[in-house]
Amino acid sequence: MDLTRWLRWETGLTALAVAMFIVMARLSPDFATTFTLQSLALNAAVIGFLAIGVAPVIMGGDIDISIAAMTALCGVISAVLWTHGVNIWVASVVGLMVGAVLGLVNGLSVVLLDLPPLAVTLGTMGAYTGVGFLILGGSAISNFPASLVNLGSGFIGVTPIPISSVVLIGVTALLAILMHRTTFGRTVFAVGSNRQASRFSGLAVVRTRIMAFVICGVLAAVASIFYLGYFNTAQAGSASEDLLPAITVVLLGGVSAYGGTGTILGVFVALVVVSVLESGLGVMGLSGQELSIAVGILLIVAVASSVGGRWLRGREGSGPELAPPPAGPGPAESSPQR
Amino acid sequence: MSLIEPVVGRSRSRRGVAAGMRAAGRTPDVALLVLMIAITALAVATLPGFRTATNAYELLDGSAVIAVLALAETVVMLTRQIDLSVGAIMGLVAYTVGSTVGRLGGGPLNPVVGFAFAIALGGALGLVNGFLVERLRMPAIIATLATLSIYSGMQVVVTGGSQLYAYQVPHWLAGLYSDQWGPVPVFTVIAAVLVLLLAVALHRTRWGRDLYAIGSNPDAAAAAGLPTRRRTYETFVLCGALSGVAGLLYVAQYGNVDASAGSGIELTAIAAAVIGGVSLFGGSGTALGAALGTLLLSELETLLALERISIFAQQTLQGAAIVISVAIYAYLGRLGRRRRMAAPRRVAAPAADETSPPAALPAAGTGPGGDRWT
Repeated sequence: MDLTRWLRWETGLTALAVAMFIVMARLSPDFATTFTLQSLALNAAVIGFLAIGVAPVIMGGDIDISIAAMTALCGVISAVLWTHGVNIWVASVVGLMVGAVLGLVNGLSVVLLDLPPLAVTLGTMGAYTGVGFLILGGSAISNFPASLVNLGSGFIGVTPIPISSVVLIGVTALLAILMHRTTFGRTVFAVGSNRQASRFSGLAVVRTRIMAFVICGVLAAVASIFYLGYFNTAQAGSASEDLLPAITVVLLGGVSAYGGTGTILGVFVALVVVSVLESGLGVMGLSGQELSIAVGILLIVAVASSVGGRWLRGREGSGPELAPPPAGPGPAESSPQR
Repeated sequence: MSLIEPVVGRSRSRRGVAAGMRAAGRTPDVALLVLMIAITALAVATLPGFRTATNAYELLDGSAVIAVLALAETVVMLTRQIDLSVGAIMGLVAYTVGSTVGRLGGGPLNPVVGFAFAIALGGALGLVNGFLVERLRMPAIIATLATLSIYSGMQVVVTGGSQLYAYQVPHWLAGLYSDQWGPVPVFTVIAAVLVLLLAVALHRTRWGRDLYAIGSNPDAAAAAGLPTRRRTYETFVLCGALSGVAGLLYVAQYGNVDASAGSGIELTAIAAAVIGGVSLFGGSGTALGAALGTLLLSELETLLALERISIFAQQTLQGAAIVISVAIYAYLGRLGRRRRMAAPRRVAAPAADETSPPAALPAAGTGPGGDRWT
């Protein structure tokens, strides 16, 4: 089936991850230590949840740039509930429901009103951040219960493996099954490839697209729980710096920006690549923004090499589908942009 | 679509696009203008603080930087692309040009050199975007996401931990923001001139018409023989150049430029353009619309600030404004399409027209075998 095609991009990416790890370990003795790797894993959790969450949306041909704002708002709501005496876990579950609602709002606006997802989620990003500020103002809530902090920064028993990594891997596996082994997942890919044809084929286009946004919202809420646990603080402006890395990870992972191709595994491997790169360069002394240069270059190189690879192979090869779909009738169907 | 509609001929398709463009381009502007006048009237009537002329100039001056960035985004959005790196380009140019221009010894020629430098640097940065999108065929979102990361990182490297301070800014540059030419502030004049120039370029030149055509239907435009590749490069370069100018204006306005200057501003610029009627799908929108969108956004902010509504509510309202305006324009667009389809004007359907029989299917989820969210 398409398995061979997918596997080639992910294989290359895995090779890149391994190579990068080796290079970083060679370049800096501090890199391959337990401490560094643990920090790497803990930091990667929030971005990981965001990336895994937004991947289905992008695979379905849409996009959601409000994910960081959803994370912040869910965190704020959970935290505020907790300060009013609600048990932190109950508050977290409420946060999950809030995430679902926020995702639903996105989905309804984009799908039912037939509006460009970029514009809509740009608006909801501002709206959600704004609501967060309305609730909390500029202040922050900190000092969460030890149980939550342990979830976000703690380890499994006496092993050096962080809890958040295990949960991330579990969620990744779940979503991989959802996207690659269920009808829902296949519908998402079909819709992402050709929405019009999917509609004519009788697929549940509307329902599927909206569901993708809801999943994205829920996973953003999951990210917020681990954000609270790791950073131990809730603010209206949280996680705003995680939007770019999350999208980068998804696109690097082989998910086409136009939708229709990509794998969850690829996204996960891309997360590893970006985390290793950031962590390694960070250990070598580069600052946060300097890291972003590296990530940007990495993105270009990755996409360019896939294009180059396809060109070498005479256009039949693997890699994320980057050419815009043939122009269909109407802007809503054929746009290579959102 | 080019498979179904025959490309009738170069002149006819272009004429069709141009005519359709003029029609579509005018409606949002009028509506916007009316809305702006209404809001302004309301504000003047109800708020004492709003009435003064100085306040009006402050509004115009304060929005100049974003207006120029919105113009930059408009150029790109018209061709169905997007540029997320405008803020980073602006910041990078702001610091680079702002810090070097103070050391020039050219005397009265300094402003010219300064602007030329900003335009050149911005244009070069935009050229990279164009290369990535056109030559490497990267989707614009990814390409400009990557350059956004790279350019903001470069901004950190270039500032090297310090920043540009207001006292280092040469007089002529700071004067752009504080001086006036007769009754009108220089800043506003600069922004207005740029809006005018871009409007003329878009509506009165072949170049501009090509942009609208490419945005409406890239395949038909290419089939009709328009220089699509060259136009893509040109739009990204122009976008970069305008961002560079915005950078210089930024230095004039704020004086202090640090490593994070301009971060996040690209979203405001896109929002302003979207509110001003520039479609993310390309093919419609005007320079004037983008400018009005910026003003509307600034006016809303000022209004809210004067009403003592917390700044936090402002962000929510801005977000809502974007969604609402996109919905309104989409609705208007659909109305227009239905009206045009009801009264067909040509026998051979021009390929570049946005309407076509398959598009007659209502967009939201119905059709043979389609479903509804019930």
